[in-house]
Amino acid sequence: MTVSVDNMTSETQTHSPMRRWTQRLVQSSDLGMAPVIAALVVIWAVFEILNPHFLTARNISNLSAQIVVTGTLALAETFVILLGMIDLSIGWSSVVAAAVFSVTTVFLNWPVWPCVGLGIGASVIVGMLQGLLVSRVGVPSFVVSLGGAMIAEGVSLAMLTPHGGSIPLSDNLSTMIGTLNIAPTWSWILSLGLFAVFAGVMVSQHLGRMKRGAGEGHSVFFAKLGALFVLLIAAVGTLCAYRGVPWLLLIFMAALFICAFLTKSTRFGRHLYAVGGNAEASRRAGINVRFIQLAAFTIAGALVGLGGLLDAARLGVASATVGDSDIMLNAVAAAVIGGTSLFGGRGSVYGALFGALVIASVTNGMDLIGAPSSIRFGVEGVILLVAITIDTLLRQRRLRSGRV
Amino acid sequence: MSTAELLSVRNLHKKYGAVTALRNVSFTVRKGEVTALLGDNGAGKSTTIKAIAGAAPADSGSIILEGQEVSLRRPADANALGIQTVYQDLALCDNLGICANLFLGRERVLRPFGILRDVDMEAEALRVLKTLRVNLPSLDTHVSSLSGGQRQAVAIARAVLWGTKLVIMDEPTAALGVAQTAEVLRLVRDLAAQGFGVILITHNMHNVFEVADSVVVLRLGETVLEARKSDLTPEIVVGCITGSRTTVGGAA
Repeated sequence: MTVSVDNMTSETQTHSPMRRWTQRLVQSSDLGMAPVIAALVVIWAVFEILNPHFLTARNISNLSAQIVVTGTLALAETFVILLGMIDLSIGWSSVVAAAVFSVTTVFLNWPVWPCVGLGIGASVIVGMLQGLLVSRVGVPSFVVSLGGAMIAEGVSLAMLTPHGGSIPLSDNLSTMIGTLNIAPTWSWILSLGLFAVFAGVMVSQHLGRMKRGAGEGHSVFFAKLGALFVLLIAAVGTLCAYRGVPWLLLIFMAALFICAFLTKSTRFGRHLYAVGGNAEASRRAGINVRFIQLAAFTIAGALVGLGGLLDAARLGVASATVGDSDIMLNAVAAAVIGGTSLFGGRGSVYGALFGALVIASVTNGMDLIGAPSSIRFGVEGVILLVAITIDTLLRQRRLRSGRV
Repeated sequence: MSTAELLSVRNLHKKYGAVTALRNVSFTVRKGEVTALLGDNGAGKSTTIKAIAGAAPADSGSIILEGQEVSLRRPADANALGIQTVYQDLALCDNLGICANLFLGRERVLRPFGILRDVDMEAEALRVLKTLRVNLPSLDTHVSSLSGGQRQAVAIARAVLWGTKLVIMDEPTAALGVAQTAEVLRLVRDLAAQGFGVILITHNMHNVFEVADSVVVLRLGETVLEARKSDLTPEIVVGCITGSRTTVGGAA
């Protein structure tokens, strides 16, 4: 007996790698991004049929900016959900960041970059304090973040109410990020350059795997990479046909790739998944579970701060009404729709992007066809329930086959 | 049979509140041998193992590793000294791949970001799996899709990968079928043959007489038998476990 790669049934061995991949996807209890991408295709098709303006360059450009705040907050929530926990404070915590930023730039007239740091720092503190309570004391994250949300609301109101509940922003940075696009030439240079780096890393990893006789086979790998490239060209091409890539989108994508690197390629990311999958096993393996929990909440805090500043820049105002809106629930929904399991340990930061795309597409499309909010909420609720049902059914399938 | 002493446990005591779990546990494990640890439910097997693994230190008594008394306050202490435990629940992360589980908590990384060196880790994992003659699918396969025997093999391979001296196994065959049990027992023998000390906890008398070199029986938190397997019969062992035999075997 030797270590072999092909320990599958003889039937699957005879098929091509491509066939094997699809078969594995169908039989597996971890569907990855497949359901959310399918949902997205359906949603876009339906809205394009209902209103041909849906897939125009201009609307896609709007859509790409609309996903940014939900996506960034969903990214934050993903770190916490991967641990099997939840952070309900991200809405109000993001308002704290915007409030600190606006008070320091507008009323104290401090230079803008330090104020960005202070704003994000405020949310980091919120996340860190919650992380300390969760990891050191063992208070359930649900309750901790509920209290955290209330405190963050109080802090936000204390800063914003004296100024009528909202503070308009006028600094150049907020205006640029909130309203401007990167010129088409630079959009192409940036996106193709980033893709070249990404593809380079992926190909070198893939070749390493193939050399050891592991991995998914050339055909599957290059088909995936090619599909990604086509998607990128289509997306950037569409955005450049209007005004270029929005600054908001660039910042979100940068945050997304940093998070992808952190969760997929570093020891911290490995431990994050491990703690989410089996905290006791992780502890016995010598992983500092408390540190991982604290770090996840702190990173989430930083992303929440970024999301709050991006939202303020987009709206041109730091406003307390944001905290009362469905911003937090949308972010949780986006993460779950993107395939991140509320049971912990399964999912990916890319789910935040696709989940946010689903939510924003429904909102955008409903607005476009003039549907009332009542219908929009109904549709979003159904999508969320379908996503969580799939997650739960897959978990039951794993439990049935004795794999918790 | 004058193999070197690897681990010596002396007079372990442990109380959980008002309950005395261990009152006087002592035994010795030798290099290259399988020591079976037996006892009825509640006899103190798991408590003893947790003390040696650093998961739940004993209140008093001493643990001597290669002639030196050691302090085992945390699992990391035991790991650092070369003591590895394969728990009954295997302590695997089902949402991670085989290789990720083998290196869990001890990943090889590049500074400064702690970038995982997957290529190196997979090569090392393949080397160990080959020495154990274990048959597993591709190393990035999630542990959730492995069979019970394969999962056991991953847990044992992990112990071998890191436990340079002593491997503790808690009921490794409890949930396995006949063929898989035989495979795991072969692994246990192989481990001993490679010079590891092995503590095997089991209820299965057949397993004991198939793979063990020496036998330790606990009863009500006390060592009631420590003997070479060759000096024993299943009847004697069962008698000590149930308490119908009270003589302490002294054939160490």
